[in-house]
Amino acid sequence: MSKPSMKLSLDKKHNLTGWIFLTPGALLILFMSFVPMIKALILSFKTGNGGALTWSDPIFRNYSQMFKDTVFIQSIKNTFFYLIIQVPIMLILALILASILNNRNLRFKGAFRTMIFLPCATSLVAYATVFRTLFANNGLVNLVLTKIGILSQPYSFLTHVWSARIIIVLALLWRWTGYNMVFYLSGLQNIEYSVYEAAKIDGASPMQTFFKITVPLLKPTILLTAIMSTNGTLQLFDESVNLTDGGPANASITMSHYIYNLSFKYVPKFGYAAAMSFLILILVAILAFVQMKVGDKRD
Amino acid sequence: MKRKLMSLLLVGAMTTAMFAGCGSSSDDAASTDNTATTNDAADASTESGSSAEGGKLTVWCWDPAFNIFSMEEAAKVYQKDHPDVDVEVIETPWEDVQTKLTTAATSGDLSSLPDILLMQDNAFQKNVISYPDAFTDLTDSGVDFSQFAAGKTAYSVVDGKNYGVPFDNGAVIACYRTDVLEQAGLTIDDFTDITWDQYIENGKKVLDATGKPLISMQAGECDLIMMMLQSAGSSLFNEDGTANIVNNDTLKVVMETYKELKDTGVLTEVNSWDEYVGSFVSGDVAGTINGCWIMASIKTAEDQNGNWAITDMPSLVGVDDATNYSNNGGSSWAVTSNCQNKDLAFDFLASTFGGSTELYDNILSCGAIATWAPAGDSDKYAEGDDFFGGDAVSAKIVDFATKVPSNITGVYYYEARDAVAVATTNVINGADIATELQTAEDTVNFNMQ
Amino acid sequence: MTKGKKIAMYVFLILASFISVFPLYWMVCAATNTSADVLRGRIIPGGNLLVNVKNLFAAQDIGTALGNSFKYSIVLTLISLVICSLAGYGFEIYHDKAKDAVMSVILLAMMVPFVATMIPLFQMFSKAGWLNSTIGFILPTISTPFLIMMFRQSARSFPHDIIEAARIDGLSEIRIFFQMFMPTMRSTYAAAMTITFMNAWNNYLWPKVIMTNAKSVTMPMVVANLTQGYVTDYGMLMLAVLICTLPTAIVFFCLQKSFAEGITGAVK
Repeated sequence: MSKPSMKLSLDKKHNLTGWIFLTPGALLILFMSFVPMIKALILSFKTGNGGALTWSDPIFRNYSQMFKDTVFIQSIKNTFFYLIIQVPIMLILALILASILNNRNLRFKGAFRTMIFLPCATSLVAYATVFRTLFANNGLVNLVLTKIGILSQPYSFLTHVWSARIIIVLALLWRWTGYNMVFYLSGLQNIEYSVYEAAKIDGASPMQTFFKITVPLLKPTILLTAIMSTNGTLQLFDESVNLTDGGPANASITMSHYIYNLSFKYVPKFGYAAAMSFLILILVAILAFVQMKVGDKRD
Repeated sequence: MKRKLMSLLLVGAMTTAMFAGCGSSSDDAASTDNTATTNDAADASTESGSSAEGGKLTVWCWDPAFNIFSMEEAAKVYQKDHPDVDVEVIETPWEDVQTKLTTAATSGDLSSLPDILLMQDNAFQKNVISYPDAFTDLTDSGVDFSQFAAGKTAYSVVDGKNYGVPFDNGAVIACYRTDVLEQAGLTIDDFTDITWDQYIENGKKVLDATGKPLISMQAGECDLIMMMLQSAGSSLFNEDGTANIVNNDTLKVVMETYKELKDTGVLTEVNSWDEYVGSFVSGDVAGTINGCWIMASIKTAEDQNGNWAITDMPSLVGVDDATNYSNNGGSSWAVTSNCQNKDLAFDFLASTFGGSTELYDNILSCGAIATWAPAGDSDKYAEGDDFFGGDAVSAKIVDFATKVPSNITGVYYYEARDAVAVATTNVINGADIATELQTAEDTVNFNMQ
Repeated sequence: MTKGKKIAMYVFLILASFISVFPLYWMVCAATNTSADVLRGRIIPGGNLLVNVKNLFAAQDIGTALGNSFKYSIVLTLISLVICSLAGYGFEIYHDKAKDAVMSVILLAMMVPFVATMIPLFQMFSKAGWLNSTIGFILPTISTPFLIMMFRQSARSFPHDIIEAARIDGLSEIRIFFQMFMPTMRSTYAAAMTITFMNAWNNYLWPKVIMTNAKSVTMPMVVANLTQGYVTDYGMLMLAVLICTLPTAIVFFCLQKSFAEGITGAVK
């Protein structure tokens, strides 16, 4: 008779504890992210250049304006190209690397892990310079390709549309694969190693182990990295600015790069820039929602 | 483990304490902030009240070897007569100056700005017109603007008012490797006062004899296009602020010339600024054309000492007002409206950058060439530079600077420049000039809405 | 595993490591060369290191910048880990529909580009007098949706029997978190620490807006200073970049063991 009510109060207590635990973090996010976001949302309904802003007429003018903006449309296309090509390749590569480096019998694990992680710690200035140097007209890549006869004369990689885009994808893969590997490595630790040993005894091939054990058990982590990478790519900025400067002729410019130009390079249009930012929010939110629906089920 | 846990708990406790503090922060902080500002104001008033001489100026600029050095020299010159004036230079890259300025001005809180900041000439109109409240009118500040090169002062004039004291010179120079030219049987005289047609002819000879292009340019940037355009006094905007792209006949000639330079191989395009500097430092090209500040980069190739020479740039063919002179880059000092001691700032600028040959003599060593006419008469400017074969390059550049046609930067300079850069890239790849210019003008008009 | 497969695996790893490390190698070489040599594409070490060191320390206040970067990054990392892991734990262990919904809303916070929220944030911080301060640097990034979600996801694999057992032993909920969850999830904490430290260390856009005096500069700001002049000294620049990269690399190297070498011992 008294048992259910006690259980209820205990549940209530736990429920409350949960709320207390998440309050500091949630409040900080409320003040540091949502308050400015709401201000930005209000801004997105205003027009005007520079400091003097007035309500736009009609109120959604900034939003409708975007779809007439050829540079912005180009930037959306570019960004989605990066998203579709780069994110899946990167995550799969990171998973493979993580499961290899999780092998207990592997030698020099620490060294390998550190080396593969290093790209994301490498300062942007350095790696952008290196990439530009490598793909320069007289750079190493051209030198090798002409030496072995694939090219008859140096190819200007960064000034051609598709090669510029592909270089950005390569740069992203290079920089972020090790980063994602870290999450998988740490996620793999939560899988008991004995599971792998049991699988081995049962005669499972490494392929089978990978797909039947690693991937399903890492699902929460895979979801995390997928959402992160989607978000990161849709807000991509560094590579576009530092590697190609959006060129040639805006063929590799990203949405965030364009928003930055509108805010700080051109005559500032914060209303318009804020409207674009909210479009990005909507796009990421839709993709994240889909990913959550697919991946965030508790067993 | 226990100790670790303790420390973690401690951090946790600290955090909660801090967090509790920040929940009620907005009122608290606002009130403390108010007292802070009143204190500041009190300080400022006592300062200016007690002595008109004393005081402190903070300055934002960005290049230790160049404009920071110059500002510090200016402080030294000024301190001779005003020993109790303090000048604090805060190294701030140009992009950060722009970001900080935009952020502060947009949020309506100018208190974080310094007294004086250095501004790129191309961004001057944009910033003053976008944020008129952030700057101080210098027209009656005591600086004699008539002593500066007219083309240079024009960058910082808005509605007939002066907002900037000109600093460094951006007069265009054409630089050539005399040893490479020699191999093609040419001398620097064959490149002086010439047209682009002659330049291309000479360029082909150099290419045949040495395999080296005459010039490299960064793809996707239109520095050379803009230099060519200004050399004929033409701009991307009309006086009334409307875009002048599709009906700009000079721009068409410029585009055609640029395409021919590229097609003949006299000009080679590189991918980035590093590669551009690298191309002449490593001797892959026989010269370059740019603002006179490029000399400092050329001089880093110490092994090429004595092999360089400087002259004026080629002129456009078939354009009425074509000259051999232009401008690229350069910057000017602005006084912000946050400056608490404007009289001091005015006097400082008027008696240094606007009135001291001594200062300009001192900073010539770092490559800062004056646009202030009296400085050019100094003996220092007549001294030869061994790197450039003993030529008196400084005097030459001051002379070039006076001949540069002025142009209209306009508020939407960067928008127009980017649009023209896109057009240039497409034209080089074979697109039709008229169509591309139409697209560029449409883009600019879209941005001006 | 057969010998052939093993060799293939090592070849793959060595190749991946080589590609990953090459730019770093280039950077180290560049730091020892003159600017002109760097631009000429020299990729072997040179003899200009000492000159570059001298120039760099003369040109920039490296000591202050390093000190600031360490101060900001360490404080931020420690506070951030506690707050975010507590929240992530709260979201997962006590999850219900309402908390899942709040989590989704929180995720929204990271989806707006920072450029858009920067100006309102600056307004708030400037009013509060937090420009040029540690609190100004750390406050916006103490609690991130990313870290909260990371801890939420990893709390999913935290065995519930441990919690039940601890409750029966009479441990309070907060003690379960600190005494059971934290040590058990060492690997997650280590990974989170690396990532948070790295992000804090490399943060650039925000400090460049709120740090307006010379005493508050960070390492990335120093690196940016070096790229802005009419002439860039590439040897000196790459030395600064190298100094700026090392701390994260070292933090990673020290922590990688703990996040890769299992929790099995701790659980049992």
